[in-house]
Order: sequence, then structure tokens, then C-alpha cells
Amino acid sequence: MPHLAALLRVARRLTVEPASAEDLIQETMLLAWRGFRQFQPGTNARAWLFRILFNVFHGLGRKARLDSLPSQASVRPMFQEAVEIAEALGALPLEQRTALLLCVVEGFTCREAAGILDVPVGTVMSRLSRAREELRASLKPLAKEAYR
Amino acid sequence: MSDDELDQRIREAVLGEPIDVAPLEHSIRQRISRPRRLRWAPAAAASVALALAAGLSYRSFFHPPAPPICIAAAEDHEREIVNGESRPWLSDLASINLLAEKQGVPASAIADLGTMGYRLERARLCFLKRQIFLHLVYTKDGNEYSVYLRRPGGETSFGKSARGTENLAYFETARLTAVFVSHAPGADALAFARAGATLL
Repeated sequence: MPHLAALLRVARRLTVEPASAEDLIQETMLLAWRGFRQFQPGTNARAWLFRILFNVFHGLGRKARLDSLPSQASVRPMFQEAVEIAEALGALPLEQRTALLLCVVEGFTCREAAGILDVPVGTVMSRLSRAREELRASLKPLAKEAYR
Repeated sequence: MSDDELDQRIREAVLGEPIDVAPLEHSIRQRISRPRRLRWAPAAAASVALALAAGLSYRSFFHPPAPPICIAAAEDHEREIVNGESRPWLSDLASINLLAEKQGVPASAIADLGTMGYRLERARLCFLKRQIFLHLVYTKDGNEYSVYLRRPGGETSFGKSARGTENLAYFETARLTAVFVSHAPGADALAFARAGATLL
């Protein structure tokens, strides 16, 4: 099933726990399956799936959302730096975190991310810029450590 | 740290996270296979519908517990209206009437329900217990009401019940099966059902 790992990777950073992320993905794929006739061949299937993911996510109650830092169990990082980056990502406001995950990690252009999130391109760009600023600030001590 | 360096570190950290999608994929495939079976179930039996019986007695609404079709309707209402799950809906009246006619539900029934101050918002087809129903969503005084209509295929029954915070009312005649679901107070849901019963 293509794009499942990418969807799950993002969902894990939107929801409180792995089980919620998996529920979110199940709903997403089910809706995609049922609504596949609405997909236009030749367009970006990956972006279409992410758009469904965020529609489902926003349709959920706040209980399923990430209101606090993700637990280390939920992100399962491999290395210490990954732990710190995961925590810094989790501390970002949801909108900034989402823009960063779509554009930086998943490789969508700002225009594609804007389509997925149903916001103007400029909004994505400013969220991305603020996310980078905040991450840069929170990771600064680690960066010094790394280059010492 | 430049944007490129920062992005690279973020990518390495996030993409380095081990992800096993096999169990999830298995669950999804299982869930996908269920509705496909439903699609081929006795869909034909669930052809069309209309109109209702005048003169349903008030007493006839008091027969708990709710039958399975009403529980299914309440669950569908919760998913699609309360939780707002993304679904394709028709919202223009001409398309809704056409959809209704294809299901054997006269367009006049839809219009009749709207004459009591209930505003038709949208409609779609859905499965309840392997039967196709026309799902209509009406609003009044800030409350949303789901009305499920189909031509009856089973025994005649009338009733009223509740599931959690949702209030249910239903009736079935030789011409029509109707299920009403709402979070509105029980008396309001019942009032809509009773009014509908006299009109349809």
C-alpha cells in the first residue's frame, strides 16, 4: 500500500499515541478507498492522501490531538539527537509542525502543502519560516554540543 | 545553522524512525473488504421508498429497546454528523430529488418534511444493516436531524428509543421505512417523527 509509511510518520506527530495515529490512518485509507472515484488520474495521489488525512484529523475531537509533547515511546527515535529533535518538533504549534513535516520531511512544495492544508501558500511559507526559527533556537545548545 | 542544514537534521531524525506498516496494512485491508461484501448484499431488496402513515398513535412510539436498524442509524449519524467524517454529500435540491426518485422515495416526501420549518441541508445514500437508505439531514433551531428513508422490506413496526445522548424515532408502513436520529431533546425528535408520519 503506497505512501502508508509516510502517512503514519506524519500521523504519529499529530496524535497523542501510536494507536490514535493508526486509527487516523485507517480512517484515511478507508475514505480514500471509498472515494477513489473522486481522485483525478494524473494528479498527485500522495498529496490527495495527505489531504484526506488532514480532513480526517481535523474532524476528530481534540482528545485525539497532540496537546503535549509526544512521548518517546510514540516517536521511537533511534539516537539522542533524534530524541531532541522529536521533542523540539513536538513543542512546535500544530500549524508550524504540520508545515514543517509536509515541506521538509515529506518533500511537498509550499504550493502542494497549501493545497493539502487548504490555506494560502503564503501562510505555509510563514509557518515554515517560524517553525525553522523556533527549531533553530531550541536546537542551538545541541548544535554547539555537536560541533565542540 | 542554515535552513538546509537544519532541514537535513530534521529529515534524518524523522525518517530514521523505524516504521512497521505491515500490521496496519493488514487491518486496513480487512476493513476495506467488509463494505465490498455489503455492496453486493441484498441491495436490490432495499429499493425505494415513500410516504407514511397518517394517524400513528402516540402510544406506538413507546417500545424500547431500539431495533438494530435504529442502532445502525444512530451510529451512522454519530459518524457522519456528530464526528463530521468526510463524506460526499449532495446539497442541491434537484440532485437530491433525483437521487431520491432513483431509490423510490418520492421527492414530494422530502419537500413535505421541509414544510414544517425543517430545512433540508444535504443528502447521500448509506447502508444500514445491509440496506440502502436515503440519508437526509435537516436543521431546525440549531439542531441537526438525520432522517433515513427507504422502501420497507421487513415487518411493520413503530417505536421510539435512545442510544447514549441520541434520540431515535422510527416508523414503517407498507410504503415507507423512516428513522429519525438527533441530539435534540427527545420530545423534539419525536415531534419531527410524528409530524413526518402524518405527512409522508
